[in-house]
Amino acid sequence: MKVSLAWSSPHPERTIAVAMRRCYSTKPIEDIEAELEQKGPEYWKYLIGKALQDKSLDVFEHFVLTLSVEEMAQADMGLLTRTFPYLRATHLRLSEWLLTLNARTLVELWKDARGKPLAEAVVTELSQRGVCPIFSELAFGMKANAS
Amino acid sequence: MRVKLLYHTELDAIKRVLAQKGVPFDPELVMDHIVYMFEIEDCSRVTTHQLVRHRAVSYDQESQRFSAATREGVVTPPSVQSNDAGYKAYDEALKAVYSAYEKMVTAGVPKEDARYVLPGAIKTKLVMTLNARSLMHLVWQRTALQAQWEIRELAVTLQRLAQETTPELWTKIIER
Repeated sequence: MKVSLAWSSPHPERTIAVAMRRCYSTKPIEDIEAELEQKGPEYWKYLIGKALQDKSLDVFEHFVLTLSVEEMAQADMGLLTRTFPYLRATHLRLSEWLLTLNARTLVELWKDARGKPLAEAVVTELSQRGVCPIFSELAFGMKANAS
Repeated sequence: MRVKLLYHTELDAIKRVLAQKGVPFDPELVMDHIVYMFEIEDCSRVTTHQLVRHRAVSYDQESQRFSAATREGVVTPPSVQSNDAGYKAYDEALKAVYSAYEKMVTAGVPKEDARYVLPGAIKTKLVMTLNARSLMHLVWQRTALQAQWEIRELAVTLQRLAQETTPELWTKIIER
């Protein structure tokens, strides 16, 4: 299976942190964003780690990825889209797909034997591109490879 | 009410994939892959109760378990505002509710339990992420004339922001 990232949410880890802080803060969004910028990546790491620990996976739904996927059979993709409701796949040609998923679904795919091969390919691609090093390390134990 | 688009999928990134595969661009084809994240502030919980009926959407909303409610933070519908007797009744009810809330919190009742008396009019804040297909369905239903005024105002704003940033997608769909 070949996976190539087409697009991902900007500032994914800060976006997850924004969603998490939104639940507990009365402040306007600009103040939350400024607070998160000021506290920096260590604080985002704390929030993401806490969400994973508490299994509050809803906050990961705001980090979205779109990928080009090759060499995936229709039956396999059909099974995954029926099993994971936030997974969106559009068949392009032969065994090639346009795939959109959020980071919650990625975590769930990772934990499911049927979804693990796709999850591993996506996580490897994210790691190589250095898209979300903090999230990848905490959720999947992956270190970013990008320079 | 204040609505802000926090990010959206770059349509050009999706178009590049289609071009590489030799697939012609079609708005219908990519609607599931164009995503918008919005911040919505100072709309009522009456409206967010209607909003969360829309599925395949991700929401994270300000919790009343942790934040204290204030009398100032309520939405007053225009039909109440413009009706003297109606407004008097509304105001009296809110004063009674907030007085009860504050007494409970002062007496040591946790905010998560004291909030049971709070009104649907209370203002709230949330982030919402959804794809173009879900957003178009929301807009289609909630801009209808029979939709309630506050969620209609929200739906019109969501549509305007999405249309401004991804005009090609929305214009072609609306043209159909």
